[in-house]
Amino acid sequence: MSRVPMRARVGLVLLVGLGLLSLVAGRLFPEALASTCPLGMDPTRPDRTVCELAFGGLWVSLAVGLAAGALSTFIGLAVAAVARLSGGAVEQTLLRAVDAVFALPDVLVVMVLQLAGQSLSDAGAGGGLGPFGLMVVSLALVGWAGPARMFRNRLATLESQEYVAASRALGGGGLHLLRVHLWPALRPFALAVFLSRLPAAILTESTVSFFGIARMEPMSLGRYLGTSYAALIYEGGGRVVLPAWALLVLLVLGASLASQALSGAPRRAS
Amino acid sequence: MRAIAQRLLRQVVLVPVVAVASYFLMASLPLTTETDAKRQVSRELAASYQRDLGIGEPLGFLRPWEKLFRGERLGTSAQGITGDELLTKLSGSVGVGLMALPLALTWALGFALLRTRWRKGQWAALGDVVPAVAFGMPVFIPALLLAPGVVERGHLLPELCAALVTSIWPGIFLGTLVGDSLEAELSRDYVRTALGKGLSRAAVLRRHVLPNVWPAMLDAVGPVATSLLAGSFAAERVLGLPYFGQLYVLAVLNKQVAVVVVATTTFATLLVIVSLAVEVLRYAVDPRSREASA
Repeated sequence: MSRVPMRARVGLVLLVGLGLLSLVAGRLFPEALASTCPLGMDPTRPDRTVCELAFGGLWVSLAVGLAAGALSTFIGLAVAAVARLSGGAVEQTLLRAVDAVFALPDVLVVMVLQLAGQSLSDAGAGGGLGPFGLMVVSLALVGWAGPARMFRNRLATLESQEYVAASRALGGGGLHLLRVHLWPALRPFALAVFLSRLPAAILTESTVSFFGIARMEPMSLGRYLGTSYAALIYEGGGRVVLPAWALLVLLVLGASLASQALSGAPRRAS
Repeated sequence: MRAIAQRLLRQVVLVPVVAVASYFLMASLPLTTETDAKRQVSRELAASYQRDLGIGEPLGFLRPWEKLFRGERLGTSAQGITGDELLTKLSGSVGVGLMALPLALTWALGFALLRTRWRKGQWAALGDVVPAVAFGMPVFIPALLLAPGVVERGHLLPELCAALVTSIWPGIFLGTLVGDSLEAELSRDYVRTALGKGLSRAAVLRRHVLPNVWPAMLDAVGPVATSLLAGSFAAERVLGLPYFGQLYVLAVLNKQVAVVVVATTTFATLLVIVSLAVEVLRYAVDPRSREASA
Protein backbone atom coordinates (compact mmCIF):
# COMPACT_ATOMS: atom_id res chain seq x y z
CA MET A 1 0.00 0.00 0.00
CA SER A 2 1.39 3.41 -0.85
CA ARG A 3 2.03 5.81 2.02
CA VAL A 4 -0.15 8.92 2.14
CA PRO A 5 2.09 12.05 2.21
CA MET A 6 1.92 14.26 5.31
CA ARG A 7 0.56 17.29 3.40
CA ALA A 8 -2.24 15.16 1.98
CA ARG A 9 -3.09 13.91 5.47
CA VAL A 10 -3.24 17.48 6.82
CA GLY A 11 -5.45 18.50 3.89
CA LEU A 12 -7.78 15.53 4.25
CA VAL A 13 -8.07 16.01 8.04
CA LEU A 14 -8.91 19.69 7.44
CA LEU A 15 -11.56 18.78 4.85
CA VAL A 16 -13.16 16.00 6.89
CA GLY A 17 -12.99 18.13 10.06
CA LEU A 18 -14.74 21.04 8.38
CA GLY A 19 -17.33 18.69 6.89
CA LEU A 20 -18.11 17.11 10.26
CA LEU A 21 -18.11 20.49 12.02
CA SER A 22 -20.51 21.99 9.50
CA LEU A 23 -22.76 18.92 9.66
CA VAL A 24 -22.87 18.88 13.47
CA ALA A 25 -22.96 22.65 14.03
CA GLY A 26 -24.93 23.74 10.98
CA ARG A 27 -27.43 20.92 10.47
CA LEU A 28 -27.72 18.57 13.46
CA PHE A 29 -27.44 20.89 16.47
CA PRO A 30 -27.84 24.48 15.23
CA GLU A 31 -29.43 25.49 18.57
CA ALA A 32 -26.08 24.83 20.31
CA LEU A 33 -24.53 27.56 18.15
CA ALA A 34 -27.43 29.95 18.67
CA SER A 35 -26.66 30.34 22.35
CA THR A 36 -22.85 30.44 22.11
CA CYS A 37 -22.09 32.38 18.91
CA PRO A 38 -19.68 35.22 19.77
CA LEU A 39 -20.49 37.08 16.53
CA GLY A 40 -24.07 37.88 17.48
CA MET A 41 -27.19 37.97 15.34
CA ASP A 42 -27.25 38.38 11.57
CA PRO A 43 -28.08 42.00 10.57
CA THR A 44 -30.77 41.01 8.04
CA ARG A 45 -32.17 37.92 9.83
CA PRO A 46 -32.49 38.89 13.51
CA ASP A 47 -33.73 35.40 14.50
CA ARG A 48 -30.53 33.63 13.36
CA THR A 49 -26.92 33.99 14.54
CA VAL A 50 -23.99 34.58 12.18
CA CYS A 51 -22.47 31.22 13.25
CA GLU A 52 -25.65 29.25 12.43
CA LEU A 53 -25.90 30.76 8.96
CA ALA A 54 -22.16 30.45 8.22
CA PHE A 55 -21.87 26.78 9.28
CA GLY A 56 -25.22 25.90 7.68
CA GLY A 57 -24.02 27.58 4.47
CA LEU A 58 -20.70 25.76 4.64
CA TRP A 59 -22.48 22.40 4.79
CA VAL A 60 -24.55 23.21 1.69
CA SER A 61 -21.50 24.59 -0.19
CA LEU A 62 -19.48 21.50 0.72
CA ALA A 63 -22.27 19.15 -0.38
CA VAL A 64 -22.59 20.97 -3.73
CA GLY A 65 -18.79 20.92 -4.18
CA LEU A 66 -18.50 17.20 -3.39
CA ALA A 67 -21.34 16.20 -5.71
CA ALA A 68 -20.25 18.49 -8.56
CA GLY A 69 -16.57 17.55 -8.13
CA ALA A 70 -17.40 13.84 -8.24
CA LEU A 71 -19.68 14.20 -11.27
CA SER A 72 -17.24 16.35 -13.27
CA THR A 73 -14.35 13.98 -12.42
CA PHE A 74 -16.43 11.02 -13.61
CA ILE A 75 -17.43 12.78 -16.85
CA GLY A 76 -13.82 13.85 -17.43
CA LEU A 77 -12.61 10.28 -16.87
CA ALA A 78 -15.23 8.87 -19.24
CA VAL A 79 -14.38 11.41 -21.96
CA ALA A 80 -10.63 10.75 -21.57
CA ALA A 81 -11.16 6.98 -21.72
CA VAL A 82 -13.32 7.28 -24.86
CA ALA A 83 -10.73 9.60 -26.44
CA ARG A 84 -7.82 7.21 -25.77
CA LEU A 85 -9.76 4.09 -26.75
CA SER A 86 -10.96 5.65 -30.01
CA GLY A 87 -7.83 7.63 -30.95
CA GLY A 88 -7.49 9.48 -34.27
CA ALA A 89 -10.18 11.93 -35.35
CA VAL A 90 -12.48 11.17 -32.39
CA GLU A 91 -9.71 11.99 -29.92
CA GLN A 92 -8.84 15.22 -31.75
CA THR A 93 -12.51 16.27 -31.87
CA LEU A 94 -12.94 15.60 -28.16
CA LEU A 95 -9.79 17.59 -27.39
CA ARG A 96 -11.09 20.55 -29.40
CA ALA A 97 -14.37 20.33 -27.46
CA VAL A 98 -12.34 20.36 -24.24
CA ASP A 99 -10.49 23.48 -25.45
CA ALA A 100 -13.80 25.22 -26.26
CA VAL A 101 -15.30 24.47 -22.82
CA PHE A 102 -12.04 25.45 -21.15
CA ALA A 103 -11.86 28.86 -22.86
CA LEU A 104 -14.91 30.40 -21.20
CA PRO A 105 -14.97 31.24 -17.47
CA ASP A 106 -16.96 28.82 -15.30
CA VAL A 107 -19.02 31.58 -13.66
CA LEU A 108 -20.33 32.91 -16.96
CA VAL A 109 -21.32 29.49 -18.33
CA VAL A 110 -22.91 28.40 -15.04
CA MET A 111 -25.03 31.59 -15.07
CA VAL A 112 -26.30 30.77 -18.57
CA LEU A 113 -26.96 27.12 -17.62
CA GLN A 114 -28.82 28.23 -14.49
CA LEU A 115 -31.00 30.53 -16.59
CA ALA A 116 -31.75 27.67 -19.00
CA GLY A 117 -32.33 25.13 -16.21
CA GLN A 118 -34.57 27.41 -14.18
CA SER A 119 -36.69 28.24 -17.24
CA LEU A 120 -37.10 24.53 -17.97
CA SER A 121 -37.98 23.82 -14.32
CA ASP A 122 -40.53 26.67 -14.28
CA ALA A 123 -42.15 25.18 -17.37
CA GLY A 124 -42.30 21.76 -15.70
CA ALA A 125 -39.59 20.27 -17.94
CA GLY A 126 -36.74 20.26 -15.45
CA GLY A 127 -36.58 16.48 -15.10
CA GLY A 128 -37.20 16.67 -11.35
CA LEU A 129 -33.97 18.58 -10.68
CA GLY A 130 -34.33 20.98 -7.76
CA PRO A 131 -32.00 23.97 -7.21
CA PHE A 132 -29.36 21.67 -5.67
CA GLY A 133 -29.43 19.18 -8.55
CA LEU A 134 -29.49 21.96 -11.13
CA MET A 135 -26.43 23.58 -9.57
CA VAL A 136 -24.55 20.26 -9.41
CA VAL A 137 -25.34 19.49 -13.07
CA SER A 138 -24.40 23.04 -14.17
CA LEU A 139 -21.08 22.86 -12.33
CA ALA A 140 -20.34 19.39 -13.72
CA LEU A 141 -21.12 20.54 -17.27
CA VAL A 142 -18.50 23.30 -17.06
CA GLY A 143 -16.04 21.42 -14.85
CA TRP A 144 -15.38 18.21 -16.82
CA ALA A 145 -12.97 19.76 -19.33
CA GLY A 146 -10.02 20.17 -16.93
CA PRO A 147 -10.23 16.59 -15.56
CA ALA A 148 -10.70 15.22 -19.11
CA ARG A 149 -7.48 16.86 -20.28
CA MET A 150 -5.55 15.75 -17.18
CA PHE A 151 -6.81 12.14 -17.42
CA ARG A 152 -6.15 11.99 -21.14
CA ASN A 153 -2.54 13.15 -20.66
CA ARG A 154 -1.99 10.75 -17.75
CA LEU A 155 -3.45 7.85 -19.74
CA ALA A 156 -1.18 8.67 -22.69
CA THR A 157 1.84 8.61 -20.32
CA LEU A 158 0.78 5.33 -18.70
CA GLU A 159 0.18 3.70 -22.09
CA SER A 160 3.83 4.24 -22.97
CA GLN A 161 4.96 2.06 -20.01
CA GLU A 162 6.51 -1.32 -20.80
CA TYR A 163 3.98 -3.40 -18.87
CA VAL A 164 1.17 -1.90 -20.95
CA ALA A 165 3.07 -2.59 -24.18
CA ALA A 166 3.66 -6.17 -22.99
CA SER A 167 -0.01 -6.68 -22.22
CA ARG A 168 -0.97 -5.24 -25.60
CA ALA A 169 1.54 -7.55 -27.34
CA LEU A 170 -0.05 -10.51 -25.54
CA GLY A 171 -3.40 -9.59 -27.08
CA GLY A 172 -4.96 -7.41 -24.37
CA GLY A 173 -7.74 -5.21 -25.78
CA GLY A 174 -8.34 -1.55 -25.00
CA LEU A 175 -10.98 -2.16 -22.32
CA HIS A 176 -8.89 -4.90 -20.69
CA LEU A 177 -5.85 -2.57 -20.54
CA LEU A 178 -7.97 0.20 -19.06
CA ARG A 179 -9.62 -1.98 -16.42
CA VAL A 180 -6.72 -4.21 -15.38
CA HIS A 181 -3.56 -2.14 -15.93
CA LEU A 182 -4.37 1.55 -16.28
CA TRP A 183 -7.16 2.11 -13.75
CA PRO A 184 -5.16 0.86 -10.71
CA ALA A 185 -2.37 3.29 -11.64
CA LEU A 186 -4.87 6.07 -12.28
CA ARG A 187 -6.85 5.74 -9.03
CA PRO A 188 -4.75 8.00 -6.75
CA PHE A 189 -4.57 10.58 -9.56
CA ALA A 190 -8.36 10.45 -9.92
CA LEU A 191 -8.68 11.25 -6.20
CA ALA A 192 -6.27 14.19 -6.63
CA VAL A 193 -8.23 15.49 -9.63
CA PHE A 194 -11.50 15.18 -7.67
CA LEU A 195 -10.00 17.15 -4.77
CA SER A 196 -8.70 19.82 -7.15
CA ARG A 197 -12.24 20.26 -8.59
CA LEU A 198 -13.78 20.61 -5.14
CA PRO A 199 -12.66 24.21 -4.36
CA ALA A 200 -13.30 25.36 -7.93
CA ALA A 201 -16.88 24.05 -7.76
CA ILE A 202 -17.48 25.58 -4.32
CA LEU A 203 -16.16 29.00 -5.38
CA THR A 204 -18.12 29.05 -8.64
CA GLU A 205 -21.30 28.09 -6.78
CA SER A 206 -20.61 30.79 -4.18
CA THR A 207 -20.17 33.48 -6.83
CA VAL A 208 -23.25 32.50 -8.86
CA SER A 209 -25.36 32.23 -5.69
CA PHE A 210 -23.99 35.58 -4.51
CA PHE A 211 -25.39 37.19 -7.68
CA GLY A 212 -28.81 35.82 -6.71
CA ILE A 213 -29.04 33.69 -9.84
CA ALA A 214 -29.06 30.28 -8.11
CA ARG A 215 -32.01 29.62 -5.82
CA MET A 216 -30.17 27.39 -3.34
CA GLU A 217 -32.30 26.43 -0.34
CA PRO A 218 -31.12 25.97 2.39
CA MET A 219 -28.68 28.80 1.74
CA SER A 220 -25.10 28.14 0.69
CA LEU A 221 -22.30 30.47 1.84
CA GLY A 222 -22.50 32.52 -1.37
CA ARG A 223 -26.27 32.90 -1.23
CA TYR A 224 -26.09 33.82 2.46
CA LEU A 225 -23.73 36.71 1.69
CA GLY A 226 -25.53 37.59 -1.55
CA THR A 227 -28.99 37.98 -0.05
CA SER A 228 -27.77 40.57 2.43
CA TYR A 229 -24.93 42.25 0.58
CA ALA A 230 -26.65 45.62 0.33
CA ALA A 231 -27.11 45.65 4.11
CA LEU A 232 -23.51 44.52 4.59
CA ILE A 233 -22.21 47.43 2.51
CA TYR A 234 -24.02 50.08 4.51
CA GLU A 235 -23.75 48.56 7.98
CA GLY A 236 -20.14 47.33 7.74
CA GLY A 237 -20.11 43.62 7.05
CA GLY A 238 -16.77 42.48 8.51
CA ARG A 239 -18.48 40.61 11.37
CA VAL A 240 -20.49 38.59 8.82
CA VAL A 241 -18.09 38.38 5.88
CA LEU A 242 -14.85 37.44 7.67
CA PRO A 243 -16.11 34.15 9.23
CA ALA A 244 -17.55 33.05 5.87
CA TRP A 245 -14.28 33.91 4.17
CA ALA A 246 -12.26 32.02 6.81
CA LEU A 247 -14.38 28.90 6.29
CA LEU A 248 -13.95 29.11 2.50
CA VAL A 249 -10.19 29.58 2.83
CA LEU A 250 -9.82 26.59 5.17
CA LEU A 251 -11.86 24.46 2.78
CA VAL A 252 -9.74 25.49 -0.22
CA LEU A 253 -6.51 25.06 1.75
CA GLY A 254 -7.50 21.52 2.78
CA ALA A 255 -8.49 20.51 -0.75
CA SER A 256 -5.37 22.13 -2.32
CA LEU A 257 -2.93 20.51 0.11
CA ALA A 258 -4.50 17.06 -0.33
CA SER A 259 -4.75 17.40 -4.10
CA GLN A 260 -1.16 18.63 -4.61
CA ALA A 261 0.31 15.99 -2.32
CA LEU A 262 -1.67 13.12 -3.88
CA SER A 263 -1.01 14.12 -7.49
CA GLY A 264 2.74 14.41 -6.85
CA ALA A 265 3.10 11.37 -4.57
CA PRO A 266 5.33 8.60 -5.91
CA ARG A 267 3.70 5.17 -6.05
CA ARG A 268 5.35 2.19 -4.43
CA ALA A 269 5.20 -1.20 -6.06
CA SER A 270 2.62 -3.24 -4.22
CA MET B 1 3.86 29.09 -39.99
CA ARG B 2 1.20 26.43 -40.56
CA ALA B 3 1.25 25.45 -36.88
CA ILE B 4 0.66 29.07 -35.83
CA ALA B 5 -2.15 29.45 -38.37
CA GLN B 6 -3.77 26.28 -37.00
CA ARG B 7 -3.50 27.58 -33.43
CA LEU B 8 -5.02 30.93 -34.43
CA LEU B 9 -7.83 29.21 -36.34
CA ARG B 10 -8.65 27.07 -33.29
CA GLN B 11 -9.00 30.24 -31.23
CA VAL B 12 -11.04 32.19 -33.78
CA VAL B 13 -13.47 29.34 -34.38
CA LEU B 14 -14.53 29.63 -30.73
CA VAL B 15 -16.47 32.85 -31.48
CA PRO B 16 -19.00 31.41 -33.98
CA VAL B 17 -19.26 28.24 -31.86
CA VAL B 18 -20.18 30.28 -28.76
CA ALA B 19 -22.50 32.55 -30.78
CA VAL B 20 -24.46 29.66 -32.30
CA ALA B 21 -24.47 27.51 -29.12
CA SER B 22 -25.67 30.35 -26.89
CA TYR B 23 -28.31 31.37 -29.47
CA PHE B 24 -29.80 27.90 -29.81
CA LEU B 25 -29.69 27.32 -26.04
CA MET B 26 -31.57 30.57 -25.42
CA ALA B 27 -33.94 30.09 -28.40
CA SER B 28 -34.97 26.68 -27.06
CA LEU B 29 -36.01 28.02 -23.65
CA PRO B 30 -39.71 27.63 -22.86
CA LEU B 31 -40.14 31.26 -21.82
CA THR B 32 -43.61 31.59 -23.32
CA THR B 33 -46.62 29.35 -22.73
CA GLU B 34 -50.19 29.37 -23.92
CA THR B 35 -51.89 30.00 -20.59
CA ASP B 36 -51.55 33.06 -18.41
CA ALA B 37 -51.20 30.85 -15.35
CA LYS B 38 -47.95 29.43 -16.68
CA ARG B 39 -46.48 32.65 -18.05
CA GLN B 40 -43.04 33.14 -16.62
CA VAL B 41 -42.21 36.51 -18.13
CA SER B 42 -43.99 39.76 -18.84
CA ARG B 43 -45.80 40.27 -22.15
CA GLU B 44 -43.22 42.85 -23.22
CA LEU B 45 -40.34 40.47 -22.48
CA ALA B 46 -42.06 37.60 -24.28
CA ALA B 47 -42.57 39.84 -27.32
CA SER B 48 -38.95 41.00 -27.30
CA TYR B 49 -37.86 37.35 -26.99
CA GLN B 50 -39.69 36.43 -30.23
CA ARG B 51 -38.64 39.63 -32.00
CA ASP B 52 -34.98 39.85 -30.96
CA LEU B 53 -34.10 36.20 -31.50
CA GLY B 54 -35.96 35.97 -34.83
CA ILE B 55 -37.54 32.70 -33.72
CA GLY B 56 -38.99 30.69 -36.59
CA GLU B 57 -37.22 32.82 -39.20
CA PRO B 58 -34.51 31.58 -41.56
CA LEU B 59 -31.08 32.75 -40.32
CA GLY B 60 -32.79 33.90 -37.11
CA PHE B 61 -29.53 33.58 -35.22
CA LEU B 62 -28.22 36.63 -37.06
CA ARG B 63 -31.17 38.75 -35.88
CA PRO B 64 -29.67 40.04 -32.56
CA TRP B 65 -26.54 41.19 -34.38
CA GLU B 66 -28.52 42.75 -37.19
CA LYS B 67 -30.48 44.80 -34.63
CA LEU B 68 -27.34 45.83 -32.79
CA PHE B 69 -25.62 47.05 -35.96
CA ARG B 70 -28.76 48.99 -36.95
CA GLY B 71 -28.64 50.77 -33.59
CA GLU B 72 -31.93 49.21 -32.39
CA ARG B 73 -32.55 48.17 -28.80
CA LEU B 74 -32.28 44.51 -27.76
CA GLY B 75 -34.54 43.34 -24.94
CA THR B 76 -37.21 45.38 -23.19
CA SER B 77 -37.30 49.19 -23.16
CA ALA B 78 -36.30 49.43 -19.48
CA GLN B 79 -33.66 46.70 -19.27
CA GLY B 80 -32.52 46.23 -22.87
CA ILE B 81 -29.45 47.61 -24.56
CA THR B 82 -28.25 49.18 -27.81
CA GLY B 83 -24.96 48.53 -29.55
CA ASP B 84 -23.50 51.85 -28.36
CA GLU B 85 -24.46 51.16 -24.75
CA LEU B 86 -22.92 47.70 -25.00
CA LEU B 87 -19.65 49.16 -26.25
CA THR B 88 -19.63 51.81 -23.49
CA LYS B 89 -20.20 49.19 -20.81
CA LEU B 90 -17.61 46.88 -22.34
CA SER B 91 -15.03 49.67 -22.43
CA GLY B 92 -15.73 50.33 -18.72
CA SER B 93 -15.03 46.70 -17.83
CA VAL B 94 -11.97 46.56 -20.07
CA GLY B 95 -10.76 49.74 -18.35
CA VAL B 96 -11.11 48.09 -14.95
CA GLY B 97 -9.31 45.04 -16.36
CA LEU B 98 -6.49 47.20 -17.70
CA MET B 99 -6.15 48.87 -14.28
CA ALA B 100 -6.08 45.40 -12.71
CA LEU B 101 -3.37 44.06 -15.03
CA PRO B 102 -0.42 46.13 -13.65
CA LEU B 103 -1.70 45.43 -10.13
CA ALA B 104 -1.74 41.69 -10.90
CA LEU B 105 1.81 41.92 -12.27
CA THR B 106 2.89 43.72 -9.08
CA TRP B 107 1.31 40.98 -6.93
CA ALA B 108 2.98 38.36 -9.16
CA LEU B 109 6.45 39.86 -8.94
CA GLY B 110 6.19 40.48 -5.20
CA PHE B 111 4.90 37.00 -4.48
CA ALA B 112 7.46 35.29 -6.74
CA LEU B 113 10.32 37.09 -4.96
CA LEU B 114 8.90 36.43 -1.47
CA ARG B 115 8.26 32.77 -2.30
CA THR B 116 11.85 32.30 -3.42
CA ARG B 117 13.02 33.84 -0.14
CA TRP B 118 10.52 31.89 2.02
CA ARG B 119 11.51 28.56 0.47
CA LYS B 120 14.89 28.69 2.21
CA GLY B 121 13.60 29.51 5.70
CA GLN B 122 11.02 28.77 8.33
CA TRP B 123 8.27 30.48 6.31
CA ALA B 124 8.23 27.83 3.58
CA ALA B 125 4.63 26.83 4.41
CA LEU B 126 3.49 30.35 3.45
CA GLY B 127 4.35 29.47 -0.15
CA ASP B 128 1.37 27.06 -0.04
CA VAL B 129 -0.87 29.01 2.31
CA VAL B 130 -0.87 32.34 0.44
CA PRO B 131 -2.08 30.85 -2.90
CA ALA B 132 -4.79 28.90 -0.99
CA VAL B 133 -5.91 32.08 0.81
CA ALA B 134 -5.96 34.00 -2.48
CA PHE B 135 -7.78 31.22 -4.35
CA GLY B 136 -10.21 30.71 -1.46
CA MET B 137 -11.21 34.36 -1.62
CA PRO B 138 -13.99 34.92 -4.16
CA VAL B 139 -13.79 38.47 -5.53
CA PHE B 140 -17.02 39.49 -3.78
CA ILE B 141 -15.47 38.98 -0.31
CA PRO B 142 -12.74 41.68 -0.47
CA ALA B 143 -15.20 43.82 -2.44
CA LEU B 144 -17.73 43.55 0.41
CA LEU B 145 -15.02 44.48 2.93
CA LEU B 146 -13.91 47.54 0.92
CA ALA B 147 -17.36 48.64 -0.27
CA PRO B 148 -18.51 50.60 2.84
CA GLY B 149 -15.56 52.98 2.45
CA VAL B 150 -15.67 53.55 -1.29
CA VAL B 151 -19.06 52.84 -2.81
CA GLU B 152 -20.36 56.41 -2.70
CA ARG B 153 -17.07 58.29 -3.03
CA GLY B 154 -16.76 58.32 -6.85
CA HIS B 155 -13.63 59.84 -8.47
CA LEU B 156 -12.69 56.43 -9.90
CA LEU B 157 -12.17 55.05 -6.38
CA PRO B 158 -14.73 52.23 -6.88
CA GLU B 159 -13.07 51.36 -10.22
CA LEU B 160 -9.65 51.29 -8.55
CA CYS B 161 -10.97 49.10 -5.74
CA ALA B 162 -12.62 46.78 -8.29
CA ALA B 163 -9.27 46.50 -10.07
CA LEU B 164 -7.49 45.84 -6.77
CA VAL B 165 -9.81 43.05 -5.58
CA THR B 166 -9.95 41.50 -9.06
CA SER B 167 -6.17 41.39 -9.36
CA ILE B 168 -5.38 39.42 -6.18
CA TRP B 169 -5.94 35.82 -7.30
CA PRO B 170 -4.64 36.23 -10.90
CA GLY B 171 -1.55 38.00 -9.50
CA ILE B 172 -0.78 35.26 -6.97
CA PHE B 173 -1.44 32.57 -9.61
CA LEU B 174 0.94 34.30 -12.02
CA GLY B 175 3.48 34.77 -9.20
CA THR B 176 3.39 31.05 -8.39
CA LEU B 177 4.05 30.10 -12.03
CA VAL B 178 6.74 32.72 -12.55
CA GLY B 179 8.37 31.85 -9.19
CA ASP B 180 8.55 28.15 -10.12
CA SER B 181 9.90 28.92 -13.57
CA LEU B 182 12.41 31.45 -12.20
CA GLU B 183 13.67 28.96 -9.65
CA ALA B 184 14.06 26.22 -12.26
CA GLU B 185 16.01 28.53 -14.59
CA LEU B 186 18.24 29.92 -11.82
CA SER B 187 19.42 26.41 -10.96
CA ARG B 188 20.59 25.65 -14.53
CA ASP B 189 24.21 25.36 -15.65
CA TYR B 190 24.13 28.34 -18.01
CA VAL B 191 23.36 30.66 -15.08
CA ARG B 192 26.35 29.35 -13.09
CA THR B 193 28.55 29.70 -16.18
CA ALA B 194 27.44 33.30 -16.77
CA LEU B 195 28.00 34.18 -13.10
CA GLY B 196 31.39 32.40 -13.16
CA LYS B 197 32.44 34.50 -16.15
CA GLY B 198 31.89 37.64 -14.09
CA LEU B 199 28.43 38.85 -15.14
CA SER B 200 26.44 40.58 -12.41
CA ARG B 201 23.26 38.87 -11.09
CA ALA B 202 21.10 41.59 -12.64
CA ALA B 203 22.72 41.15 -16.04
CA VAL B 204 22.32 37.35 -15.86
CA LEU B 205 18.69 37.76 -14.92
CA ARG B 206 17.97 40.26 -17.69
CA ARG B 207 19.99 38.72 -20.52
CA HIS B 208 19.74 34.98 -19.84
CA VAL B 209 17.04 34.06 -17.33
CA LEU B 210 14.12 36.32 -18.21
CA PRO B 211 14.00 35.34 -21.91
CA ASN B 212 13.50 31.75 -20.70
CA VAL B 213 10.83 32.75 -18.18
CA TRP B 214 8.74 34.72 -20.73
CA PRO B 215 7.07 31.63 -22.30
CA ALA B 216 5.81 30.43 -18.89
CA MET B 217 4.45 33.90 -18.22
CA LEU B 218 2.73 34.05 -21.61
CA ASP B 219 1.15 30.63 -21.00
CA ALA B 220 -0.49 32.10 -17.91
CA VAL B 221 -1.77 35.29 -19.57
CA GLY B 222 -4.88 33.59 -21.04
CA PRO B 223 -6.17 32.21 -17.70
CA VAL B 224 -5.19 35.48 -15.98
CA ALA B 225 -7.17 37.57 -18.51
CA THR B 226 -10.17 35.25 -18.07
CA SER B 227 -9.93 35.59 -14.27
CA LEU B 228 -9.62 39.38 -14.47
CA LEU B 229 -12.66 39.75 -16.72
CA ALA B 230 -14.78 37.17 -14.85
CA GLY B 231 -13.72 38.59 -11.48
CA SER B 232 -14.83 42.04 -12.53
CA PHE B 233 -18.46 40.73 -12.67
CA ALA B 234 -18.62 40.35 -8.88
CA ALA B 235 -16.60 43.50 -8.15
CA GLU B 236 -18.85 45.61 -10.40
CA ARG B 237 -21.96 44.18 -8.73
CA VAL B 238 -20.80 44.94 -5.18
CA LEU B 239 -19.21 48.31 -5.91
CA GLY B 240 -22.15 49.49 -8.03
CA LEU B 241 -20.22 49.95 -11.29
CA PRO B 242 -22.63 49.99 -14.28
CA TYR B 243 -20.35 48.14 -16.70
CA PHE B 244 -20.36 44.91 -18.67
CA GLY B 245 -20.33 42.53 -15.66
CA GLN B 246 -23.32 44.27 -14.09
CA LEU B 247 -25.08 44.20 -17.49
CA TYR B 248 -24.50 40.45 -17.82
CA VAL B 249 -25.72 39.58 -14.33
CA LEU B 250 -28.84 41.75 -14.71
CA ALA B 251 -29.54 40.26 -18.17
CA VAL B 252 -29.48 36.75 -16.68
CA LEU B 253 -31.54 37.76 -13.65
CA ASN B 254 -34.17 39.51 -15.82
CA LYS B 255 -34.17 36.81 -18.52
CA GLN B 256 -33.12 39.26 -21.25
CA VAL B 257 -32.09 36.33 -23.41
CA ALA B 258 -31.06 38.27 -26.54
CA VAL B 259 -28.74 40.41 -24.38
CA VAL B 260 -27.31 37.20 -22.86
CA VAL B 261 -26.56 35.79 -26.34
CA VAL B 262 -24.85 38.99 -27.49
CA ALA B 263 -22.95 39.53 -24.22
CA THR B 264 -21.71 35.92 -24.08
CA THR B 265 -20.43 36.11 -27.65
CA THR B 266 -18.83 39.51 -26.99
CA PHE B 267 -17.07 38.08 -23.94
CA ALA B 268 -15.80 35.10 -25.96
CA THR B 269 -14.58 37.49 -28.67
CA LEU B 270 -12.67 39.51 -26.09
CA LEU B 271 -10.97 36.37 -24.78
CA VAL B 272 -10.07 35.29 -28.32
CA ILE B 273 -8.53 38.73 -29.00
CA VAL B 274 -6.41 38.35 -25.85
CA SER B 275 -5.35 34.86 -26.97
CA LEU B 276 -4.41 36.13 -30.43
CA ALA B 277 -2.39 38.97 -28.90
CA VAL B 278 -0.58 36.43 -26.71
CA GLU B 279 0.22 34.25 -29.74
CA VAL B 280 1.66 37.25 -31.60
CA LEU B 281 3.69 38.26 -28.53
CA ARG B 282 4.93 34.69 -28.11
CA TYR B 283 6.05 34.66 -31.75
CA ALA B 284 7.94 37.91 -31.14
CA VAL B 285 9.69 37.07 -27.86
CA ASP B 286 10.17 33.28 -27.96
CA PRO B 287 12.63 32.05 -30.60
CA ARG B 288 11.56 28.42 -29.92
CA SER B 289 8.04 29.32 -31.06
CA ARG B 290 9.45 30.71 -34.34
CA GLU B 291 11.66 27.65 -34.86
CA ALA B 292 8.77 25.26 -34.20
CA SER B 293 6.63 27.00 -36.79
CA ALA B 294 9.37 27.32 -39.42
